[in-house]
Amino acid sequence: MTFQQLCSTTIKTAASVLLLLTLACAPALAADDAYQLLRGDPQGYAEVTVGKPLAFPADHQPHPDYRIEWWYLTANLTDAAGGHYGVHWTLFRQSMSSAPDPGGWSSNQVWMAHAALSTPDGHVYQQRFARGGIGQAGVGINTLGHFDAWLDGSRLTGTSPSPLPGQLQFTVEDYSVTLDMTADTPWVLQGKQGYSQRANLGQASYYYSQPHIKVSGRLSRRSLVNENVGHKNDDESADATDQTIMLTGLGWLDREWSSQPLAPNQPGWDWLSVHLDDGYALMVYRLRQRDGDDWISGSWIAPDGTATTLTKDEIIFEPIDTTLITTKGNIQRQLPLHWRVSLPAKDLSWTVTPMSQDHWLDTAFPYWEGPVTLSGTSNGQGFLELTGY
Amino acid sequence: MLTTSLGVQARQLFWVLTALLSHYRRHPGQALAMATGLITGVALWAAVQLINDHARASYAQADQLLGAEARFWVKDKTGGGISPNTYIDLRRAGFDHLYPVIDSAIRTQQGGLVSIIATDLLALPLAGNTAAGINNPFAATDWLALIQPDYLAWYPTMLAKQLGIKAGDRLELAGGQQLPPALIQPQSQQGQRIFLDIGAAMTVLDRDTFSYLAVGDMNEQRQAQLEATLPANLSLVKNQQALDLSQLTASLHTHLTAMGLLAFAVGLFIVFNAVRFSLLARQSTLTTLREMGVSISLLGAGIALESLIWALLGTGLGLVGGHLLAQQLLPTVAMTLQSLYGASVGSSIGITPQQILLALTMSLLGMILALAIPLWQRARQAVRQQRDNSARWQQDQHDINVMAGGGLGLLILGAMGYSWINTVEQGFIVLALALFGGALLLPWLILRVINVLVKQLPTHRWLARWALSDAVAQLPHLRIALMALLLTLTANIGVTTLVGSFRTALGDWLETRLSADVYVQSRQLDLAAIATADWITHYHPRLGADLRWQGRPASIRGLKLDAPDTQQLALAEQTTHGFEHWQRSEGSPTDILANEQVHYLTNTPLGSVIQLDTPAGPQDFRIVGFVYDYGNADLQFYLPRQRLLALWPDAQILGVGLWLKDPNAITDIVEQMQGIGATPGEWALQTDIKRVSLAIFDRTFAITATLNVLTLVVAGLALLAALLAVHQQRLPEYAHWRSMGTAIPQWLVVIAAPLFMMLGVTLLAAIPMGLLLSWLLIVKLNVIAFGWTMPLLWSWVPVAELSLLTLFIVTLTLLVAALRVRQTLPSAIRELSGSLG
Repeated sequence: MTFQQLCSTTIKTAASVLLLLTLACAPALAADDAYQLLRGDPQGYAEVTVGKPLAFPADHQPHPDYRIEWWYLTANLTDAAGGHYGVHWTLFRQSMSSAPDPGGWSSNQVWMAHAALSTPDGHVYQQRFARGGIGQAGVGINTLGHFDAWLDGSRLTGTSPSPLPGQLQFTVEDYSVTLDMTADTPWVLQGKQGYSQRANLGQASYYYSQPHIKVSGRLSRRSLVNENVGHKNDDESADATDQTIMLTGLGWLDREWSSQPLAPNQPGWDWLSVHLDDGYALMVYRLRQRDGDDWISGSWIAPDGTATTLTKDEIIFEPIDTTLITTKGNIQRQLPLHWRVSLPAKDLSWTVTPMSQDHWLDTAFPYWEGPVTLSGTSNGQGFLELTGY
Repeated sequence: MLTTSLGVQARQLFWVLTALLSHYRRHPGQALAMATGLITGVALWAAVQLINDHARASYAQADQLLGAEARFWVKDKTGGGISPNTYIDLRRAGFDHLYPVIDSAIRTQQGGLVSIIATDLLALPLAGNTAAGINNPFAATDWLALIQPDYLAWYPTMLAKQLGIKAGDRLELAGGQQLPPALIQPQSQQGQRIFLDIGAAMTVLDRDTFSYLAVGDMNEQRQAQLEATLPANLSLVKNQQALDLSQLTASLHTHLTAMGLLAFAVGLFIVFNAVRFSLLARQSTLTTLREMGVSISLLGAGIALESLIWALLGTGLGLVGGHLLAQQLLPTVAMTLQSLYGASVGSSIGITPQQILLALTMSLLGMILALAIPLWQRARQAVRQQRDNSARWQQDQHDINVMAGGGLGLLILGAMGYSWINTVEQGFIVLALALFGGALLLPWLILRVINVLVKQLPTHRWLARWALSDAVAQLPHLRIALMALLLTLTANIGVTTLVGSFRTALGDWLETRLSADVYVQSRQLDLAAIATADWITHYHPRLGADLRWQGRPASIRGLKLDAPDTQQLALAEQTTHGFEHWQRSEGSPTDILANEQVHYLTNTPLGSVIQLDTPAGPQDFRIVGFVYDYGNADLQFYLPRQRLLALWPDAQILGVGLWLKDPNAITDIVEQMQGIGATPGEWALQTDIKRVSLAIFDRTFAITATLNVLTLVVAGLALLAALLAVHQQRLPEYAHWRSMGTAIPQWLVVIAAPLFMMLGVTLLAAIPMGLLLSWLLIVKLNVIAFGWTMPLLWSWVPVAELSLLTLFIVTLTLLVAALRVRQTLPSAIRELSGSLG
């Protein structure tokens, strides 16, 4: 059994952050237009440049002079009986203006958290917002000197100034999740030493990942009788003991910040992160171009954490077909849920299949994000993210 | 076979209907009168109905804020605020269904009060804030600007208009601060309040606490968890605003409904009037149709169809008019509800299918009553009864007597029902019985007056006698319009007296209640400094706590016994030496004073022993007196200050009244006020408060005044329509007079004198009826509805004003009618000579 599955989709999700702002700024904008925020003029914000060395643990902390930033975690987990559980937790930070943050009630920082969970019973998700400056959300060092990223009761805390090893706690609907996470391998600096180029026009981000996270923890569900049957005034049955499930698996943490992650001619992206059964990990993404060839990039990561950046010529990443799904408001969307991925130089090839089609997040910034299986040269599990559809 | 016969019947019905409707082509004036009556009646009624429904729908949303639920409140037990740290701790503990609210009234530089509501849009537990969510506050264009310095203040259109605020303006506050730039943009459940981001409110209003935390829906388990997590000084209370508001405002809405129904009734009078005049002209059509073999049932179907067409027309145009009118009136009502009850009423009105159905039903019932029944009666008589003048005259006499008998019956019923009035609705039924009884008696009364006058007049006053006998001829045609006018005048006099009495009572009461020179509301007040300040002669801290009693919001106040306003406390009733006993707090159970609302709204007599919940548990009190408390929607109890502090140790100082040594130096006390801990903006002068109170009062009754004028206009239209019809019908008669040598001035006297005589009788009858109405409103309905009493103050001024206004409308009406006659008389004379030749 290969229970260890890694998956992570990073950068793409960043967009979600902006979605939140988008709703604010554009009342009736279509989902596609919401992403306009990611293409916004970076004037006044700090610029992403090549050759700037990343430093840890300092760079685990926020970079408020950049417009947008995220802490993004995905995990494929299994219970004792082999049942599959997907976890997707993100914290986004957004600067509403390029001026220095005045803090307090006047803070120009806005936070958004997404938490999603796939269980054998289905997919649940929740988005939360908070303003910065008042302590309701943020990323910092707590009184114990540990890394702390939180929004309301949803949080990722380290046991040092680094988020790993650490603990993730969040609730979504009536589920409560607590996961302990450790990693033995170094942080993977994506692109050129953490400089990740997104388009020919100079759009870029700082991007690093931890693809090899060992996860163990528990999932509990609050008194089903009480909440699901709707007998709010039920007597003892309301106190039904929580149902707790122990989970283990592999996780992937992405960190990224930028002032303009998307070029004006890019309607969206497709993103895939995978843990292969042989201990290797793969990340590929495609930024779709309206006019010309898509921007494709990725990385191939050995079990010891050694990473090789993959260029467009080294990757084949293409949809096999599209699937029609219906989302809230009876909106029909054609989504490429099945993919072919090949690394010809390494003679590796896989097909990607979603574990379930039902993973559309109808959030302020809507997108599809869900667990997938890989089969081919080797097998594996991962997460696929599709935006701009 | 069946199909064929159905087809034939349908064709026949079509021809009958065409024949019936052709009447209106020949008499467009009557069609116009009917349409006017029906449409204005439906419109006035629908406007009131729409406003009521809209307001009620808004109350149902009182447990929501900007689309987020607020089923519970987390409040400070002592009435203080909630610190942001406590809030953040609760959020981080996972209670993400609560959000901070600042809900306060602030004084503007002009001395007015505006309500502010502020929350954190980002923290609202919205169900689905997706990109396209309709109820999504994030969807507001200026969201970013709202939460970032310089911030924005969102104004509902009406409030902005009232305050004279345009987009971008900053409202100046009494303390010298300025609100953020205005954006005219109402949100759901915002009501007539200014919406601010909570960060802006904390900064601009210089606050360091929230008013309360609002909490979305929770199951009991979660509720228990939250209660266990709350710090000791906070408590979780259920938001009962929706319930309270429906209860508190019920009588106001009944009041409005009654006025709407009156308008509808007046509209129906016009229709009825028009139909009556059309009957004669249509008699021949009906006779012809019957003679042609049209069955009575087919004729009935035709009449029913005609009524349906009219009802559809009335409903459609009436609703359009009603909606327009409601949009115009809503702001006034919304302001009233906000200032009186704190109810937030949204600013856009919709029409629901139920309302359309109700309007159609009303119109249809009205048309059956006013059109179908008279027409049907005439149709059945069509063949056998021929036109016969003397028979008609006898019929009219008979009708008038029957009406008078009916009117008397209604009056007796009303008198009998008087002692049974227990609810506002019953009160209005008695009112309606009295009003319509009086109206039905009017023609009989006019006839009596004519008879008396005829007997008194010497025979040589031939012109006057002619005029009087012409009055008898005009009366059958005008009586319905006169009855409508009587109803309107009565309603006007009654309501004006009510409002006038209320305003005087309120003014007098404010004089005694607000006797301090300055009122201060500040959390940093230094009571010791106040007690020793040499520029202050007396002071009175208003000490209080909120309660619920008998399911209604209530409060308890602690009064400082030596304060001038306690000494002058206006008692409506007290037990023997009740006030002295209360001051000494000697009784067992403890003596307590209550406002009149406790007496009347909860049926609690003087001397009752009641139980109130104190922090230490339920405690008995004996009510030894009732205090006048005009306009307060809540129940209120009063204890001496020390007694209150003993029983409610958590009671908070809500404000302090100060009596100055030199009241004239009142504008020059900034420095002294700062010496006692108050900052500018935290105090208000007595004169300003009185002015604001009376302004609120006037605004409250603005809608009454508007409806009054509108019904009077409708009644004026009814009279105009009736007069035009009368003269049209009598043209041949006038032609006879002219050809017999009657001069125009003589003719005018004969026509106008009876009209003014009848009008005089109507006006005179309206005075006692108006008095009766206002007496019922003040003595019965007001007490039942609002829970306080006041003296009835009769004034002739409004009666005189109304008489002049009526005289003006009638003269105008008469002029229009006379002008029409002058235009058409020559052709009538030609016709007459033609027929003679």
